[in-house]
Amino acid sequence: METHVIWWVGTSLVAVVLLRGALGGNLRKYPLFYSYMSCVLVKEVVGLLSYRFAPNFYGTLYWPTELATIVASYAVMVEIFRQSLRHSPGIARKGLKLLLAAFVLTVSYAATDLLHGRLANAARTIAEAGRDLRYIEGALLLLLLWLFVRYRILLGPNLLGLIMGYSFWVGINVINLALVFLPDNEFSTLARRLEPITYVATLTIWCVALWASRPEPVQPTDGAIERDYELLVAKTRSILARTSDQLMRGMRP
Amino acid sequence: MTLLALISVLGTLIVVLAIRLLAQSGNRRERPVVTVDEYAKAREALDAVFVETAMVQRIFSVEDAEFVAHSGTPDVTRSFLKERKKLALQWFRGTRKQVAQLMDLHLRLAGYTHDPSPGFELRLTAKYLIFVAVSNIVLLLVWVLGPFKATRSISYAIRAAGSFCTTFSVRLERVNPTRLSSGRESLVH
Repeated sequence: METHVIWWVGTSLVAVVLLRGALGGNLRKYPLFYSYMSCVLVKEVVGLLSYRFAPNFYGTLYWPTELATIVASYAVMVEIFRQSLRHSPGIARKGLKLLLAAFVLTVSYAATDLLHGRLANAARTIAEAGRDLRYIEGALLLLLLWLFVRYRILLGPNLLGLIMGYSFWVGINVINLALVFLPDNEFSTLARRLEPITYVATLTIWCVALWASRPEPVQPTDGAIERDYELLVAKTRSILARTSDQLMRGMRP
Repeated sequence: MTLLALISVLGTLIVVLAIRLLAQSGNRRERPVVTVDEYAKAREALDAVFVETAMVQRIFSVEDAEFVAHSGTPDVTRSFLKERKKLALQWFRGTRKQVAQLMDLHLRLAGYTHDPSPGFELRLTAKYLIFVAVSNIVLLLVWVLGPFKATRSISYAIRAAGSFCTTFSVRLERVNPTRLSSGRESLVH
């Protein structure tokens, strides 16, 4: 009963986020994010249909669809990177290099870990690939968040909400997956129970933050820039005058 | 178990940084981008740190303390020590604040006015962190021992402040005000 309620709430929220995105104009602003949301909706519907009409097939289907949505969630990362650093070309270039380096390193590590004689069970291999991809996503997201915090990147309310929801989901999911894959751990049961709650919480954050398209932070007008520049010129002149005055005084016998 | 701990740290750090970003965005809405005025103020602050650093060495001069100890009454000596301690603490707090403002300005400017070079970034951050650590230790020492008994740490802190400001002045030289205003224009939607 409880699972069904969470499933219905979650799927309804995904549908609401998509609907509001289309009506409010955010769909055009964040196409990659909404593509990911569509993937999630399709996965949820396919999952429910198989659970209802072909329960034996549900177990086989679960991890491949989970893996597909984890891969699709990388689109959200690309969207965040694209939108938040479009006015910061210097940081974008540096960030891209850092992210690519981290991606290559972690993928190589995960691939070697995966290929160490554990390809016998296909379902487990897919599940572990999904888990490793989530870890990589977590590492990349951490790097991206660090860049935003360090360089005080200016974010609009919609984008900020998107990042908050995504960070909350990935952060909790990473811990959950680590607990779930740990054998004989009493925390894994708790982790399994917590996951749907964090999923609904994330969707609620997205639903609230992306309910309507909010304007990006407004920057000063050209007039103010001109005024500031004139102020700088005046200040530089006064500093120069002061320095030359001190120099003249110093040169006096 | 080690991997689990590492992964848990990763997950926790993501959530913590996200919360930090949220708090930061709340504050930044009132003060969005660096203005040319702030740039000019930073130049002034930098000059002030350079000039004051040269002058402040006098506050910690042992000669003054020895002179007062020899020729003044105990009351005068006590009052002198109290005044110098107050001055020293005030100067350290002020300089720390100014250096923090300069670092904040650099980080905000870095976003859109220049291509950050990893080497320079690392150097500046290391110097800033050294200054913060040393100034905290020195503040504690000055508070506990007074300005004349921690002279070595104090002169190290003064050198650390000077070193940070020298590196920062190189960074400010690279800022072209015209480019600064064009950076702001590009942010207008």
